[in-house]
Amino acid sequence: MPTSPNTRPSLKFCGICSPDDLEAVNEIAPDYVGFVFFEKSKRKVSSDEARSLRAEINDEIKAVGVFVDAEPTFVTRLFEEGTIQVAQLHGNEDARYIERLRSLTPALEIWQAFEIGCAANIEAANRSNADFVLLDGGKGEGRTFDWALLGKVARPFGLAGGMNVENIGPALTNCQPSLVDVSSGIESSLTDSQGKPRKSEVLMQRFMRIVEQSATPAQASTQTPMQISKKGKHMTKNTAPQSNGRFGVHGGQYIPETLMNAVIELEEAYERYKDDPEFKAELKDLLDNYANRPSLLYYAEKMTHDLGGCKIYLKREDLNHTGAHKINNALGQALLAKKMGKTRLIAETGAGQHGVATATVAALLNMECHVYMGVEDMERQALNVYRMRLMGAEVHGVDSGTGTLKDAVSECMREWTNRIDDTHYLLGSCMGPHPFPTIVRDFQSFIGYEIIDQCTEKEGRLPDYVLACVGGGSNAIGTFYPFIEHEGTTLIGCEAAGRGIDTFETAATINTGSLGIFHGMKSYFCQDEYGQIAPVYSISAGLDYPGIGPEHAWLNDTGRAQYVAITDDEAVDAFEYLSRTEGIIPAIESAHALAYAMKIAPTLPKDKIMVITLSGRGDKDCVAMARYRGQDISE
Amino acid sequence: MNKKLAAAFADGKAFIPFVTCGDPTLDTTREVVRAMAQAGAKVIELGIPFSDPTAEGPVIQGANLRALEGGVDTDKIFAMAAELNKELDVAMVFMTYGNVVYHYGIEKFAENAARAGMCGIILPDVPYEEKDEFAPAFAQHGLDLISMIAPTSEDRISMIVREAEGFIYLVSSLGVTGTRSKITTDLSSIVAKIREVTDTPIAIGFGISDAAAAQFMAEIADGAIVGSAIVKIIEKEGTQAAKPVGEFVAGCVAAVSKA
Repeated sequence: MPTSPNTRPSLKFCGICSPDDLEAVNEIAPDYVGFVFFEKSKRKVSSDEARSLRAEINDEIKAVGVFVDAEPTFVTRLFEEGTIQVAQLHGNEDARYIERLRSLTPALEIWQAFEIGCAANIEAANRSNADFVLLDGGKGEGRTFDWALLGKVARPFGLAGGMNVENIGPALTNCQPSLVDVSSGIESSLTDSQGKPRKSEVLMQRFMRIVEQSATPAQASTQTPMQISKKGKHMTKNTAPQSNGRFGVHGGQYIPETLMNAVIELEEAYERYKDDPEFKAELKDLLDNYANRPSLLYYAEKMTHDLGGCKIYLKREDLNHTGAHKINNALGQALLAKKMGKTRLIAETGAGQHGVATATVAALLNMECHVYMGVEDMERQALNVYRMRLMGAEVHGVDSGTGTLKDAVSECMREWTNRIDDTHYLLGSCMGPHPFPTIVRDFQSFIGYEIIDQCTEKEGRLPDYVLACVGGGSNAIGTFYPFIEHEGTTLIGCEAAGRGIDTFETAATINTGSLGIFHGMKSYFCQDEYGQIAPVYSISAGLDYPGIGPEHAWLNDTGRAQYVAITDDEAVDAFEYLSRTEGIIPAIESAHALAYAMKIAPTLPKDKIMVITLSGRGDKDCVAMARYRGQDISE
Repeated sequence: MNKKLAAAFADGKAFIPFVTCGDPTLDTTREVVRAMAQAGAKVIELGIPFSDPTAEGPVIQGANLRALEGGVDTDKIFAMAAELNKELDVAMVFMTYGNVVYHYGIEKFAENAARAGMCGIILPDVPYEEKDEFAPAFAQHGLDLISMIAPTSEDRISMIVREAEGFIYLVSSLGVTGTRSKITTDLSSIVAKIREVTDTPIAIGFGISDAAAAQFMAEIADGAIVGSAIVKIIEKEGTQAAKPVGEFVAGCVAAVSKA
C-alpha cells in the first residue's frame, strides 16, 4: 500500500514518457511515477523506453507500470528487470488474473483501478483482491466525480482521472485519499523531439505543493454556528498579525528608511483608533448611510437550480456606492488619515475602481487627492479617469515599467517618500509594508462578518464554501478573515490564469509565482530566475498584479485557504452566465470566482451552502467583454 | 568590518560614484569603472539592476531598464566585478534591491560577492527592522551591509547607526534618487546626532549633481555619493561614456579633496 514520508497522501505522476521531464521529476520527487504500457495511449512507452527512463529516475521514486489486459509474463519481466516496482491494472483483469500475477511474482505490489460511475463499481473496488485500489473519475478525460459516492468506499484508495491543480484542493478536502494520481493535469502543451507529450514543471511543482499542504488537514469547527456573536466582533478581536507584521514568513516592512517613521506613525494611529468608539461610530455611519452597507446576501436560486448542486448565495458588494468593495477600505483609511491630521491622499489604481473610491471619499471628506495610474490603464479605463477628475482628483499617468498597476504602486511609494508630513498613502489592497495588509483586511472584513450574520440568519449555520477572486486580495481577505477560525468552512481564492498557467501571459501568483520581496512585503511573486518581477497579464485589470497579499500567501502555506486559477475564457463565460441567469452583470474580476463556482457547484451535494463574494459590478467591463467576443462598441 | 572599505575613508574625504551595471552594456560599465578608479574614486557603487527600483527617480530607473534589456544578470555582474577587483585597487560595494539578493539566495549571493572581491552592499528597501535576515550572511563573508539614514529617521538614528558597518549612507533629502535644484535638510545636525553614537564614516547621497555640491556635502560629512548625474552622462554618451564620466569624476574628486 502506498505510504508517503509524512501525513500527506502519496503522489503519483503518471504517463511519464519523455526523458526531458526527468530532471524536474527527480527535483520535485513524487512518490511514484507511472509508465503507461497501453498501445492506445499517447503516453505509451515500450519496455526499452521504460527501462532507460527508470535508469534516470532517483531510486526513492517507485515506478508503476500501467497495464490494460497485458500478458502476466510481460508484467513479471518488467518487475524482475527492475523497470517497475508496482503494477497498476486498468482493464478487465479479474481476481484470477491477480492471483496468477501474484503467484508469478509474490514481491510485486498490485494496484487495480476502477472507474466509479456507479455504486456497482465501488462494490467491486471494495471486493478487489489487489493490494490497493485506485478510483478513476473517467479515463483521464478531465472529468471529476461525485464525492458522495466515495463515502461508500470501505478501504484506503487512490484518486485518479482528471486531477489537476484546480480540483485537487477540493478533492483532498472532500475525501481523504491515500494517494493522488495525476497525468494530463500536469501536462504542458509541448512535445519533445520524439513527439512525446511533455509535463509542465510549474504544474508538477504546484501540484506537489498543494498535496504537501494537505498534510495538516483542517479540523472541523467545534463551535456551532449559533454561538457566533451577531455583533461587536468588528475590529474588536486581535487584528494584529503574528509578530512584526508577519504572516508566517510573509509580510514585513521592506521599504526605504525614509518611509519607516511614516508606517510606524500609521501603525500607532491605527492601534489607537481601531477600537475607539467614536471612530467606529463615525465609520459605521459612513458605511451604512453613504456606502449602502450592509450589502445583500442574495440567494441565487436560478443559478443554484441550473447548476444542480449546492445552494449558492452571492455577497453583493457590487451594490455598494461606487460599485465595488473598494469603498469600504477607502472610507476607513481616509477617516484614519484625517484623524492623523493628514490633508492629502495619494492612491494607486489599476482598473480605476480603487482610484474612484479614493476620489469619492476625498471629495466627501474635503481632502486633496492624487491618483497614480499606468498610462496603459488610463487608456483602457478612460471613463474611470473622467470619474476621478469629475470628483476633483488629479490623475497622474505613470509611464515607467509596463505602465500598469505594479508601476502605479511603485510610483505611489516614490511619491510618498517625497511628501510625508501631510500625505497619507491610501493603499488599495491587502499588500505593501506592515501595517497596510492588516489595516486593509480589517476595513474589508465587514464583508465576511456580514456573511456570517446573514447566512446564520437565513440558514441557521455557516456556509460550507466561501469563494472570492484574488488579485492583491482585498475582497478575498475581507471575506475569508472572519472564517479563518471556523474551519468547517472551505475558503477558495480564485486568481487570474490569463491565457493559462502554463503560459507567460498569466497573473496567477500562487499558482506560478515564487517567494520574493517586493512592494514592501515578502510574499509570492511572478518573477524570473534572477528575481526580476515578471510582466503579468489578465483580461481583468483589477487582477493584473504580479504579487499577492502576505496573509493570502500564509493561508496558502498553511492550507487554510486554497487558491485556484481561472482563465480569461472561463471568466468571460461566467460574466455572461451570471448576466443571463440572474440578471446581474458581475465585474470581470468577480467573474473569476463565479467561474470556479460553476465548476464545483454541480459536484457538491444539495445540502451544502456556498457563498461567492461578488466584489464589483460589471458595467465597466462591458466594452472589453464585447471586444473579447469580437464586437466593437463605444459609448 | 571590511578592512578595504575602512581604508578607503582612512585618508581624507571620499568621493563615491555610482554606475548601473550593464547600462547600456557590461563592456561600457567595465570601462566606466576603470575610468572612475583612475580619476581617484575611493569607493565605487556597482548597481545591480532591478526591474522595479522603487527608491530611484526616472534617471536610474531608465538605467535599470536599459541594462536588463541588454541582457545583464547577477551572475554576469559577479564575473565582471571579480575581473575589475583583481585589476583595480578600489573598494567596491553593490547597490541593489532586496529581491535580487533574496531570490538568488542570500548565502549564495554573499559568498559569490565575497569571491568577486566586493566590500559591502547597499539595499535601500531593507531597513533596520529587516536587516537581520541579510546581515549575518554578509558578515560571515566579510562584507559590510551599509545602513541608511534619512531626513525622517529622527529618533531612529542612534538605534540604526549603533550597528552600522563600513559607512553610513545619509540620504540628503526626501524623495527618490535624482538631481535636485536645492537641498534644504539640516544635514549638519543629523551628522552631529550620528557622531554622538559612532565614528563610522558618513557619506551623503541623493540629489548631488556636480562637483560643487559634492564638495559641500564632503565638508559636512566624510564623503559624497553621486549617481544620477553620472547615469545621465552614460544615458547621453552610451558606449562612449567612459571618458566623459572619468572627467566628471576627476572634477568631483578634486573638489571633495578640498573639503
